[in-house]
Amino acid sequence: MNYVKEVLSSRELLVNLTLREIRGKYKRTIFGQLWSLANPLALMLIYTIVFAFILRVEPEPGDPSGLNVFAVWLLCGLLPWTFFANVITSGANSLIANAGLIQKVSFSRIVLPLSLVGSSIYNWLFEMAVLLLVLVIIGSFVWPWIPLLLVVMLLLAVFAAGIALMLAIANVYFRDTQWFLGIILQMWLYLTPIIYPASLVTAQSERIGYLFGTQLTVDFLYNLNPMAHFVEIFRNLLYDNRWPDPTEWLICALWAIGSLFVGVVVFRRNERNLAEAL
Amino acid sequence: MYHERNQTLKATIMRGRRSVHEDFWALDDVSFDVPTGSTFGLIGSNGSGKSTLLKCLANIYHPNSGSISHFGSMAAMLEVGSGFHSELSGRDNIYLNGSILGMSKKEVDRKYDEIVDFSGVEAFIDQPVKNYSSGMYVRLGFAVAINVDPDILVVDEVLAVGDADFQAKCMQKFADFKRDGKTVILVTHDMDTVSKMCDNVAWLSHGKLLEVGEAKPTIKAYLDSVTPGAAE
Repeated sequence: MNYVKEVLSSRELLVNLTLREIRGKYKRTIFGQLWSLANPLALMLIYTIVFAFILRVEPEPGDPSGLNVFAVWLLCGLLPWTFFANVITSGANSLIANAGLIQKVSFSRIVLPLSLVGSSIYNWLFEMAVLLLVLVIIGSFVWPWIPLLLVVMLLLAVFAAGIALMLAIANVYFRDTQWFLGIILQMWLYLTPIIYPASLVTAQSERIGYLFGTQLTVDFLYNLNPMAHFVEIFRNLLYDNRWPDPTEWLICALWAIGSLFVGVVVFRRNERNLAEAL
Repeated sequence: MYHERNQTLKATIMRGRRSVHEDFWALDDVSFDVPTGSTFGLIGSNGSGKSTLLKCLANIYHPNSGSISHFGSMAAMLEVGSGFHSELSGRDNIYLNGSILGMSKKEVDRKYDEIVDFSGVEAFIDQPVKNYSSGMYVRLGFAVAINVDPDILVVDEVLAVGDADFQAKCMQKFADFKRDGKTVILVTHDMDTVSKMCDNVAWLSHGKLLEVGEAKPTIKAYLDSVTPGAAE
C-alpha cells in the first residue's frame, strides 16, 4: 500500500514524462500524429493482399453482424496487437534509455516504463477512433459495445504494463533481452489468430487428435496464448457485435492481474539497485 | 569494482558467471552530522568519494550498511538540465524538469517568472533547447533547480557555470538560502567558495573521513596535505 502511495505521489511526473514522449515523438515531421496510423495501415494493406487475395484465407462473416470485410476483420485484431508489441518493446528499453536520469535524480523509477504505456495508449486511442469510424461506415452496429471495448483495452494495457515492467528490469541485467524480444514478438504474432482465423487451427487440431498419447490437443496448447483470448474479445465486440464468452473475460482478467502483480513485485525488488546496475 | 562484467547472456554462459568483482569501498565508515541552517562543505581529491556520498544523500545509491536520516524536504542538484528533451521548448522543459525535481505544476506556475528571470533566457524561452548555447542551457537548468526551495539543498560541483553575472546571482541566492535558515551541502574544488560560504567542512580521502569540523582549520589541513610545505 505504501508503494502505491509512493507511485501516486509521482503521478504529475508520470503525466509530464508521458507528455514528453508524445510531444517529442513526431516533432519536426510533416504528418505528425498521422504517422501512428501509418504502420497499421501499411500492415493491413500488405496482409490483406497476401492473405485475402493470394492465399485466400476466409474468416467467417461476423455473427450476428454479417460483416465480411477481411481488411477490417484484420485490423480488429492487428491494432490491439501493435499496441501490445509497442508497449513491451519500448517499456523494456525505458530504463536503459533513461540511465542518465536514473543516476542523477531520485524519483519513483516505475514512472519510466509507465510513461511509455501512457504514450502508447494515447496513440492507440487515436487508431481505435479511426477504426470505429470505419466500422460504422461499413455497417457495424458498434455504439453499444464501446464501454466494453474500453474495459478490454484497459485489461490489455494492464497485461502489457506488467510484462513491460519485468522486461525493463531483465534488460538492465541482460542486454540481450531487447533483441530476443524482437524475435519472440515475430513468432508470437503468427501464433495468435490475427491474420488467420482460429477456426483453421481448430480444424487441424481435430484432424490430428490427441498428441503423443497425452490428453493435450493442438487447440488446447494454442489457447494457452493470452493474446488469442484478448483478440477474440476485440473481434467479438467490434466485428461480430456480440457479447463475448464469459470465460474469455475471465481468462483475460486473470492474465492481466497476474502479469501486473508479478511485474510490480519484480520491479520493486530491483528498483533500489538500478542506479548502480546501469 | 568489476574485473570482468558479463552483461549479455552469451558472455555469462560462456564464462560461467555474471562477474568477477572485488569489493571496493567507495565510502568506509563515514559518519557526521550536519547542523540545521548551516552551510556544509565537502572537500577532497578526485576519487575520494564525494559524489558517491552525495548520491547516497540524494537517495540514488543505498548504503550497504549504516543509515542516513534528514529532517525536512531535500533536493539534490547533481546535474543541470536533468531530463531536458532537446526538441521541446524552454518553457516545456521548465515544467518537465520542475516535476522531475519534485515540484508540482502549481509551484512551477507560481515560480515561472522568477525562474525565467533568473536564467536570463526570456527572449528564447519558446525555442527548442537544442538551439540554446551551452551557457544558456546550463543557466536554465540551474534556474529551475535553485527555485525548488527545499529545506536541505545538496549541490555537486555545479557552481562553476555561466558568466560572472550569473555566478554573482548564484552566490546571492545561496546567501539568501543561508539567511532563510536552510541547510546547504556543497561539493566543490574551489577553496575560495568553501572558505567564504561554508560554516563546517568535511574532508574525504579515499573513501575515509579524515577531518570534519570548522571550515578554516579543515581547509587548511586539506591544503597542507595537497601541497606539503607550501606557505599558508
